Amino acid sequence: MVAPDLSVRIGRLQLAYPTLMGSGCYGSGEEYAPFADPAKIGGVVLKSVTRAPRLGNPVPRLVHTPAGLLNAIGLQNPGIEWYLRHDVAKFAGRPYRTIGSVAGFSVEDYAYVTERLAARDEIEAIELNISCPNVGHEGETFGCDPDLTSKVVSAARGATDKTLIVKLSPNVTDIASIALEAQAAGADALAVVNTVRGMAIDTNTWRPRLGNVTGGLSGPAIRPIALLAVYEVARAVTIPIVGQGGIETLSDALEFFLAGASAISIGTANFTDPRIPARIVDGLAAYLSARGLGSLRDIVGKANPG
Amino acid sequence: METLSTPARVFATTVADRRACAPGVVVLSLSAPELGSVTRPGQYVMAIPPGGERAGTALGIYEAGDGGISLLFFVTGSRTAALAGLRPGDALDLLGPLGNGFDLSGDPRDVGIVAGGVGIASVLLPAIALRRAGARVRLYYGARSAAHLVEAERFAGEGCELLLATDDGSAGHRGYVTELIARDDAPGLLLACGPSPMLRAVGRLAEERGLRAQLSLEETFACGVGGCWGCVVPVVRESAQAPSFPPASAGGSDVVNARICKEGPVFWAHELRW
Repeated sequence: MVAPDLSVRIGRLQLAYPTLMGSGCYGSGEEYAPFADPAKIGGVVLKSVTRAPRLGNPVPRLVHTPAGLLNAIGLQNPGIEWYLRHDVAKFAGRPYRTIGSVAGFSVEDYAYVTERLAARDEIEAIELNISCPNVGHEGETFGCDPDLTSKVVSAARGATDKTLIVKLSPNVTDIASIALEAQAAGADALAVVNTVRGMAIDTNTWRPRLGNVTGGLSGPAIRPIALLAVYEVARAVTIPIVGQGGIETLSDALEFFLAGASAISIGTANFTDPRIPARIVDGLAAYLSARGLGSLRDIVGKANPG
Repeated sequence: METLSTPARVFATTVADRRACAPGVVVLSLSAPELGSVTRPGQYVMAIPPGGERAGTALGIYEAGDGGISLLFFVTGSRTAALAGLRPGDALDLLGPLGNGFDLSGDPRDVGIVAGGVGIASVLLPAIALRRAGARVRLYYGARSAAHLVEAERFAGEGCELLLATDDGSAGHRGYVTELIARDDAPGLLLACGPSPMLRAVGRLAEERGLRAQLSLEETFACGVGGCWGCVVPVVRESAQAPSFPPASAGGSDVVNARICKEGPVFWAHELRW
């Protein structure tokens, strides 16, 4: 039997495998090259870049929790000018698709950085990070407000013809309404979801354990939250969804596809074992073959009644 | 620091031996010939959880040789407990060797190694390398109590001079290990691994007395390979160990946040701005 088709099309972006490595979890890709076969992943979403350089938050930036990871990195990055001059060239010639991630503090920031970054051939698509919970209220404001979401996505849409993926926050009352605004403003796809806000407190010192006080929770702890978000967004929009939030196994991945995700993103699981993405891809092929299915598309959204 | 030239990869190892060197302190010997031969003093591994636990565990490489490596660690939580439960013949996959390790270049002749608690796990390899090069090595070793001063005799066997300190006075000097570093006869180079307060004290002492010091830092890791930027420390931008970051004239800063897991874990004390 012919191997099942695992390829995915997200806007104009063609992925050989339906697996993206989550922004902020995979460095700039080369950090993981010694530990995972780069030819066995669909794409890497690079760490977010902003208009100006950012030192990021003070440590501790990480707290391990019983079923997840709290982080508050704070968008540490060299700023778009330095990034374009010193970092972007090394993204050329990779066996997977390279997706730039843009964060900002104003509509103009998003448009400017998107335009500059997307103009480079090495960058094949743009993810708009409008949902970073770790830079004060400013970062997440865009992703938590339907009107601001619309403005930012419109501005970025006007700045590039490349595939535009908008990363949504779970920290909202009605994620489907935000998703609809992003779609109407020109998003090609939606990444669902970013981290869930949380904190941890040291019971010896009586102080918050993160330098930033609050952080974003990822890992299996948020998987049911993320899965429901995908399910609800899939019922609302017609553009593809990149499902993400605590995916560690084939079974986890299947849940997201069945809920309506066309592709998945794997982040925190790489910290447990960088071989997990390849294991999921192999598992998907075997799962589809065993059921006589020719394509991953045959299961997307099947848990979601029309 | 070029990533592509690193010998690091995922190694599938087998537990060859497991011994408790004190209550709650375990040495796991792993059969991994290639890993043992490429390890440099001061490097570490990320152990992939063997039993369904989440997140890797960063562990200093205690011994390394032709047959493999060993890991010395204190059982402090569920992840280290799972590792401590491994038995000879069990499999343990890990990422390594990681980090830069100690800089032993320049043929140092008189070196002080400062270890606090579990920090002892990362300083045997530099001690051995220095002794084999004919250097005088003094081990300044501090712990809570005599029972926590594990493996001291191993260092004595390598010809290191031992200077011990405990919090409760049950062995050696009662007080901080840094108080053992004599004012008039201090080693020219200090290599330190231990809890952050001890490392800061070593850094201050080195600055006050004009000594060179390398500190192996600790911080909570997630990835261990430079992918998440969760374990940073401020260092001066001029440092050769700092990653690409714009200078102040281009909107950057004179201090950058370097990744402890990737640019470190060992930093020159005088380059730190923590």
